[in-house]
Amino acid sequence: MKLFETVAMVTIVAVVAGFVLYPIYYLLQAAFDVGLPDSRPPTAYGTENFAKLFDYPHIIWNTLVVTFASTVMALLFGFVTAWILTRTNVPFKNTLDQLMTVPYYVTPLLGALAWSFLGAPESGFINQYWRWLGASGPLIDITSPMGIAWVMALFEGSVAYVMISAVMQSMDPALEEASQVMGASRWRTMWRVTLPLVAPGVLGAAIFVFAEMLGSFSVALVLGTPARFYVITTAIYHFVSQYPPRIPLAAAMGVSLFAVMFGMLWLYRWLTSRKSYVTVSGKAFRPRLMDMGRLRWALFGIVAFYVFMSAILPIATLLFASVQRLAVAFPAASNFTLVNFTQAFSINAVRTAMLNSVILGVVTATLGVMMTGLLTWIILRSRLPGRGALEYLVMFPQAVPRLVFAFGMMWAWLVFPLPLYGTFWVLLIAYLTVFMPLGVRTISGVVLQLDKSLDECGQVCGASWAYRLRTITAPLLKPGLLAAWLLIFVASVRELGASILLMGPDSKVMTPAIVEAWFSSSSELTAAMALIQTVVITLAILVFSLFTRRLSMHGASAQ
Amino acid sequence: MTGAASTPAIEVENLSIRYGSVTAVETVSFTVPEGQQLTLLGPSGCGKTSTLRAVAGLEKPTAGVIRVGGKPIYDSKQGVNVPAEQRGMSMVFQSYAIWPHMTVFDNVAYGLRVRKESGAPLREKVRYALDLVKMGPYADRNASALSGGQQQRVALARAIAFSPSVLLFDEPLSNLDAKLRSEMRIELRELQRRLGVTSLYVTHDLEEALAMSDRIVVMRTGVVEQSGTPGEIYNYPRTAFVADFVGSANLITGSVVGSDATAGTVAVRASDGNVIHGVTRGRPVGTTGTLSVRTVHLSLSRDRPPGDINVWPVTAVRSVFLGDITQVQVRLGDQDLVVRQLGPLPVEPGQTAYLSARADQCALLEE
Repeated sequence: MKLFETVAMVTIVAVVAGFVLYPIYYLLQAAFDVGLPDSRPPTAYGTENFAKLFDYPHIIWNTLVVTFASTVMALLFGFVTAWILTRTNVPFKNTLDQLMTVPYYVTPLLGALAWSFLGAPESGFINQYWRWLGASGPLIDITSPMGIAWVMALFEGSVAYVMISAVMQSMDPALEEASQVMGASRWRTMWRVTLPLVAPGVLGAAIFVFAEMLGSFSVALVLGTPARFYVITTAIYHFVSQYPPRIPLAAAMGVSLFAVMFGMLWLYRWLTSRKSYVTVSGKAFRPRLMDMGRLRWALFGIVAFYVFMSAILPIATLLFASVQRLAVAFPAASNFTLVNFTQAFSINAVRTAMLNSVILGVVTATLGVMMTGLLTWIILRSRLPGRGALEYLVMFPQAVPRLVFAFGMMWAWLVFPLPLYGTFWVLLIAYLTVFMPLGVRTISGVVLQLDKSLDECGQVCGASWAYRLRTITAPLLKPGLLAAWLLIFVASVRELGASILLMGPDSKVMTPAIVEAWFSSSSELTAAMALIQTVVITLAILVFSLFTRRLSMHGASAQ
Repeated sequence: MTGAASTPAIEVENLSIRYGSVTAVETVSFTVPEGQQLTLLGPSGCGKTSTLRAVAGLEKPTAGVIRVGGKPIYDSKQGVNVPAEQRGMSMVFQSYAIWPHMTVFDNVAYGLRVRKESGAPLREKVRYALDLVKMGPYADRNASALSGGQQQRVALARAIAFSPSVLLFDEPLSNLDAKLRSEMRIELRELQRRLGVTSLYVTHDLEEALAMSDRIVVMRTGVVEQSGTPGEIYNYPRTAFVADFVGSANLITGSVVGSDATAGTVAVRASDGNVIHGVTRGRPVGTTGTLSVRTVHLSLSRDRPPGDINVWPVTAVRSVFLGDITQVQVRLGDQDLVVRQLGPLPVEPGQTAYLSARADQCALLEE
């Protein structure tokens, strides 16, 4: 039995190490390859590829401008909405709080498509209205660096909100009350007590958001590429997919990007693990709310406006565009059509891509939950030597932009003895690897809440590891495992960065197919496809939550 | 199961547990005789829980031997370490560790099902265990819907249902409120006597240890400070730590002015000149010595009590009414002593009175 446990653990650790390190190895190899082109393995190694990066100063400049601008905007959105929803008596607080997570589910890609309809300099709906009002020239240009940053920030704002509101909620109200009791005014208390206390948490969120923006791909791809505006991720994609591809240069870019992101995430971890400030107890406090009087309706307006811009308007725009023959701002009966939807379902490639995505999503989620569940258990509860290192290994893919990781995988699996490249298998392996941190994070949240003695008690009662897993651990983890399944499923179905490089002609999936349609066929058809994808994901979430509610009600009735 | 069939003795020899460079337990030895209950008593961080977990097999010691019924289950020299699930023990956890996804019945049946029992015998044994802890009517309840006291009882029923060879208790009463705790203390003790299961109990609560144990081992920073029966531990603390931790005691230090090795008596003169007579309990007598006397073993009276030793004039400093008893602080020479006494106070603060103590209740401490 003991032997079986050890073998099982060692096997899974070996598989994970292979998944993560094999592509990274080939990525590094390509980045330092200065030998003859097209010869693998490389004939010479050197750092010239990195020096070549400076031949593209505009890419670095563009990346920095877009990243900084979007980070500042996203933090502003996140901080203002978090402050309003956690610290003031804004009306409809719970509804707004739930709506704040919707942009995350809308995804930046959909946002970019929708905002392209709205803010393209010539054809954008907003600019059409602007000209109709008598102005000349566009009001906004969504394909400009600031436009791209705006769309990125709209969708990252929701992430910043979740992080910053958690910080604000974890502050003991007694700290502020103490200041007030000693005679400090409300503003003095905010300035001298509240802000210094939340500052480290907000800084942590800033670093995290910055790293995410640095590695983001889809918005710049949809809005920037047509006007030949490249940031580092779209440049990597461009260099890999052009003919002839410039693999070493792209690899050097990927490695540099990855190094910077890794540093930032390390900094984030370091900052958040020094528990010197607010989050000491981890207890959720009920912060005291400021009475804003009439102003609270203005605050309601601010949050509602954010939700409108990042969720309602994009979806409405796509819906509006998808039922038109030619997407224009002014509705006309003659322009109305449903042909985009019938077409989306009748084109074979689109239909298979949809089906493929759903199948791949189900398989990835199922295998992923089993794998990350075991990994979490090993990391948190086993005594396997080196489990600390395993945690780093498992969380590693988080620090690598999915596109860069997929590039490493592509390069690695091309020389793999088995012909996996361009098949489902390579996509499955890619998804399992890049969503590993997501699964482990979700499940470990549940594992950490479980008292260790629940398992130890089973052990003292004489139950073996496998018996305990079946009778104690797995049933207790069920809610966490189900949540992880749904998160991985949703993430797989809308995956773009890894799939766009790894899918082959016989293994098309949905999101890259949407991007392909956007660049090569009609934008109205693309809008219909994007909506269909959204509906599939929403349906999955609905069915799933109904199913789990049934399960928990069943459990409750057994009482 | 009904009779007091004794179960095997536990022997712990020179057990050491280290976590990296931190030593949690240092060469601890004790024996729990067949069918008896031994308590490891000490403040948090003294190594008592680590020792218990090592006996359970949940913690791997660094060195030493643990034997049950004469057979080693852990022996660092011979490389023996029987896994926890094969030790045939049972344990009640501080957090109760009631599985919230099972019914009360399933919780209690767990150890029996692990041992491949089923059907009528299984139901019979679960029913018996639940009845023992008066939880019979709750068998079909969901375990998550129980109160703390009920969870505690279920945890106990689960621990005894499969007739384990040895019972381990990790501060099982510490999460209960004071009233329930004192009730459960007696119930636990009676149950243990009735089943005759060799038990190892861990607590930081003095009363619990005194009430429940056949023997007590007082631990501090990973080492054994004193072991003995509850009476020995309470009446004759060996060190200042035990005197202080096991109930409240007054310590009086002075130079030794006389001792009688055969009678086991000693006399100590405090710096203020007062002489206190005490017993050595076989402890070595030096030139100076410290005597320990329980606050309840001192008595205060207005008139001089009969007898010519261990009677001292004192001044009452202040008194605090605590309900069952009254606590008085008195000044003897240049040091303050605490007296806890039943009934009405013989003196008001500021008045003088006579303080007395029996010589056999003043115990010499080991230096």
